[in-house]
Amino acid sequence: MSVRTITVKEILSRVRQVFPDVPEKYVMTLINDALVELGMYNSKVSTAKISTAANQMYYSLADAAKDTSDNILEVNKVFKVYIMDDDGDYMQIPRIIDTNILLTDVSSESALNVPDSD
Amino acid sequence: MASNIKYPENSCVWYIEGDNFVLLTNVDSSGNLNTTERKNWKAIQEAVTDGILIKYYAEPDSVSSLSDVPDIDNSLHLALVDYVKRCLYMDKAGTAVDPNQSMVSSNASMMHQQKWDEAVKRFGMKKRDKTGGARMMNVPDFR
Repeated sequence: MSVRTITVKEILSRVRQVFPDVPEKYVMTLINDALVELGMYNSKVSTAKISTAANQMYYSLADAAKDTSDNILEVNKVFKVYIMDDDGDYMQIPRIIDTNILLTDVSSESALNVPDSD
Repeated sequence: MASNIKYPENSCVWYIEGDNFVLLTNVDSSGNLNTTERKNWKAIQEAVTDGILIKYYAEPDSVSSLSDVPDIDNSLHLALVDYVKRCLYMDKAGTAVDPNQSMVSSNASMMHQQKWDEAVKRFGMKKRDKTGGARMMNVPDFR
């Protein structure tokens, strides 16, 4: 038994029942817009590994950020973080709410946004 | 390569600042506790390959060809048809010369908007949820 899924072509044929002249590129753009909105509703869970760097506090989660294997992360929301311990096992670590840490990072400030030069 | 951190659950914390993940530890590169009170929590002191594992909600992959299957649960595939029709009817309502046709298109757009909202926002969690049946509490051991 196979899982019933719908391809872009099938979506297009359903749409063309009422809009026969709609260009397929436009429909694809609209589908991609819908997928961005759907991404905000916890539909896809992913796992990624990132390497730590000595004295680095900030690790980018921007749209183009990559994991150790050079895959683009595409993060919407992080909900669990694990750190490798001295046995090589990943242990979950807590998230803190009070982020007023006295000491800031001096080596990875470039990971943060800096004002424009102009 | 393992790290030198023996108890990450006690020695590491994280938070999010803008588009950045912030990792702090209270141990040095050898895994010993930092002794300076003022500078107790600071950036990790060692480089560990694959040292961080994150679990996160990710963006679905975009589609680029007619044979692509949208990268979401199949229970939500039909909602995409509603989203597309919603936009197309709204386009039609905006460009129609006849006010009656504009009104009809606008109403059709709202109907598809409602169906999209119901599928994604109202009942989306029920459709995506892969759990069922009774739940059990895992009571912490205070010994």
